[in-house]
Amino acid sequence: MVEDLSPFLPLSPATLHVLLALAAGDCHGYGIMQEVARQSEGQYKLGPGTLYDNLQKMMNQGMVEEAPSPSDNDDPRRRYYRLTRFGRAVLHADVTRLERVVRQAKLHLRPASGKAR
Amino acid sequence: MTRALYVSLLKLHPPAFRRQFGGEMLWIFDEARLSEGAFVLLLDLLISVTRQWLLRSGVWKVAFALAGAVVQVMAGGAGYYAFHRHIADKNAAGAMTPLMSELILLTVGSVGIVIVTVSGSTLWVSRFNRRRCANRKRH
Repeated sequence: MVEDLSPFLPLSPATLHVLLALAAGDCHGYGIMQEVARQSEGQYKLGPGTLYDNLQKMMNQGMVEEAPSPSDNDDPRRRYYRLTRFGRAVLHADVTRLERVVRQAKLHLRPASGKAR
Repeated sequence: MTRALYVSLLKLHPPAFRRQFGGEMLWIFDEARLSEGAFVLLLDLLISVTRQWLLRSGVWKVAFALAGAVVQVMAGGAGYYAFHRHIADKNAAGAMTPLMSELILLTVGSVGIVIVTVSGSTLWVSRFNRRRCANRKRH
């Protein structure tokens, strides 16, 4: 059955970046923050407040869930999160939408840049 | 000092959010305060606490209900005043027109009762929820 994902789209920048960070694998909060900064080459930085506010929302929507810690001697305050199948589907739908936007942008920007020359 | 401020701001978050993420957020603050800057992290937390109370906790619904009740009371008062003026005009005597001060008193009293009722019931529900959570933890 094909699920209608349109109510969840478009994703906010914070949600998109968190989902992208988790698409690479299970991660704890600080790891997500670092991964987001790495993926955006430092252009987008999440603070813990923004991160956990979004994580809470995504957990309530069923996009993200808590994952078991990979190591027993990890700091107990450090909790891991992972993408659910639904979260992956939403991310995929938003990336497809963004691809369309980029395609349109390229189409419209090409003649303008040609004129400028 | 910045850590104490951060802990205080964390305590201002809704209890459920604090219980779920508070420890981890404090751990991140300890790890990241030198690289990210304590001020940036404090500002981020300040935005977070505002968003949590205004958008996520549903307090805006209580505020909206309160505002709706106040508007209704004011509209009722204005209607009452207009009705009595109309009757008074008809009878060509001002005897039935209520004093403006009485009307203001009535409106303020009604608004006060609404505020006390809503605040009281909100406090009661939050206390009830806290007790329920404490009982769940015990079992």
